[in-house]
Amino acid sequence: MGKRKLHGYNWVATFILVAGSALMVFPFVWMVLSSFKTAADVYTYPPRWIPSTWKFSNYVKVFEMIPFLRYYFNSIYTSVMQTAIQIVLSITAAYALTRLDYPGKSYLIGLIRSTMFVPLVVTLIPLYLLVSGVGLIDTYAGIILPQVFSAFTIFLLMAFFSTVPKDLSDSAKLDGCGYYRIMMYVIIPNSLSAISTATLFSFLGHWKSYTWPLIITNKASYRTLPIGLKYLVQESSSEYQVMMAASVMAILPVLIVFSLSEKQLVRSITLTGLKS
Amino acid sequence: MKKTMLMVMVLVLVCGLGFATGVKEATTPATPRPAVVKLQVWYAMSGASGEAFTKQAKAFDEARADIELELTYSGSYADTATKVSAALLSGNAPDVAVMAAGQLYTGERGDFSMEQLVKDADFNAKDIYDGMWEYAKYDGRIASVPYGISTQVMYYNKKILAQAGIDLSTPPATWEEFLKIAKQAQAKGNFTNQPDFYGFDTSDGVWLIKSMLYQNGNAVVDSKDGKIVPVFADAKGVAVAEFWKRLVDEKVMPAGQHNNAEKKFLAGSLAFIASSSNRISRWPTSATLELGAIPMPSFTQKSIALGGNGIVILTQDVHNRQAGWELVKYLTKADNQTAFALSTGYLPIRKSAQESQLVKDTLAQNPLYKIAFDQLEYTWAYRHFGEMGTMDANFWYALDEIEKGVLTPAAAMDKAAKALIKEME
Repeated sequence: MGKRKLHGYNWVATFILVAGSALMVFPFVWMVLSSFKTAADVYTYPPRWIPSTWKFSNYVKVFEMIPFLRYYFNSIYTSVMQTAIQIVLSITAAYALTRLDYPGKSYLIGLIRSTMFVPLVVTLIPLYLLVSGVGLIDTYAGIILPQVFSAFTIFLLMAFFSTVPKDLSDSAKLDGCGYYRIMMYVIIPNSLSAISTATLFSFLGHWKSYTWPLIITNKASYRTLPIGLKYLVQESSSEYQVMMAASVMAILPVLIVFSLSEKQLVRSITLTGLKS
Repeated sequence: MKKTMLMVMVLVLVCGLGFATGVKEATTPATPRPAVVKLQVWYAMSGASGEAFTKQAKAFDEARADIELELTYSGSYADTATKVSAALLSGNAPDVAVMAAGQLYTGERGDFSMEQLVKDADFNAKDIYDGMWEYAKYDGRIASVPYGISTQVMYYNKKILAQAGIDLSTPPATWEEFLKIAKQAQAKGNFTNQPDFYGFDTSDGVWLIKSMLYQNGNAVVDSKDGKIVPVFADAKGVAVAEFWKRLVDEKVMPAGQHNNAEKKFLAGSLAFIASSSNRISRWPTSATLELGAIPMPSFTQKSIALGGNGIVILTQDVHNRQAGWELVKYLTKADNQTAFALSTGYLPIRKSAQESQLVKDTLAQNPLYKIAFDQLEYTWAYRHFGEMGTMDANFWYALDEIEKGVLTPAAAMDKAAKALIKEME
């Protein structure tokens, strides 16, 4: 059966999938190869795939130009903390908004939804004043706390929480579970794929966050990787090989988080097509 | 210029919010000066410029036991404007900022004027070019000290021109002559056989067209009864816009691809590019590029608009203000200006810097630098005003519409002028 498919239309499907995959992987491969090129290789036409000389010094140069390790640590620390706090807050909020009944709930949902229509640039200066007023400039808390609320994450989780059959939580209630235990033992275990997806999106968002950390920090010891990368992009505006080296290193944590949540992410995408 | 435009818009937004209570120039100190004055300095320069600036600032820091600098890179021009604006509102502003359009902070609600400071006999304000002082003013008052000033230069790729058999020993004096040469370079100079090959482009069309307007005897804005009025849509301004359209119609310049102009030039798929003089320190020679430069062509008169940064002192503290001024004096000393200019491609602000033997020797050896230095003779500074960012944004839209044939040059310029008038009302 399988053999027949392989000799039939599956060749076409395989070809399309391979071609599509190659297209997706191309920028990444190009980035990695370019990170080892010389400046001359980068600008050669026709483009050169393989570096004429493998320049590992591009990576060394990144460390010379910016305090890369410090920025790296700061980015990992702030992104992980922001993601963790955001997911906890969003789970509890989404649970309260989908499973509990109380007066004014629809207004609360409307209020949260309305925050999605206000871009960061509008709230930037008032937020800065607030954070500055409580003395959080040049602190990790100043970077982390203002970015932990996310209406998108709440609504993403709400969409999944509402698909968990109500009968399950009713049964748990009959067994003596309170709101907290229903959330912990019924809702969350049945929504792991959605939580995983939300975690990935949240981490990605925080990992690339640039404007807020730039505004709120002055000392290099608190600055994050996107600020360092921006400096590098401007500093070596014509040295794409150095930028590529920095980008390769910057993208690694994202790949790790993605590989950890990939299974759940695919599952959540599949589940979005199902109806109970 | 796009970044500058964004940054100016941020500044204007913050001014609109009503940010400052009014800072007056230094008065008599009420408290004795501390043994060590700590100065927060934010700077919007990276690359060779950032390195050259921090090198000099650190030298000052080391030389002065009584002043301690805390240097902070504040991002691009636009990022710095946002950061400084927010910091001003909350009272966390740096003592000193090296940024573009910082003079706009001295608006109706704030006063960071440096009129008194520049009278310092040690400073010798008269040694600084008049055009640069004009650039540093807001509403006729000196509100910053020029630092990191540049002009656009017409760069070319020697390899492309050699392939096309073009001799630039007598560079084109007018835009008409230039157009012919650019066409020739486009037709015969594609030595790498690139599919997307053009004769000319610029990464900053608004900056260039401002220069072109003046070259054609047409100002950008004028002052009428104390009010700014746009004049760029006058007949001679429209003639400039029509020439711009010809660059696209005759397929010398691609339509709406200014963001890619620098990349294309570096990749060898552009013969000429009008770009800032500070690119001299950034662009490498490669298999596809050997850098050359010629003076900017003109219409009826030579004229080049200045652009770049300035140093603003934002602190209200008398001692920090004085320490900040001492830093400014150090950075703008003739020898420091010479060193800064020669390592970055920015222009020295002092006339005396040009007269040094080091500058003369360097210029003799490096004609690229010489082009920008020579252009200083006919530079001018555009007026800084609150709606400048809006005007530049409208200019961009106008150029885009002209290039893509959405509007005629006259209609696009008229639309931009009307939008500016509406904004000012």
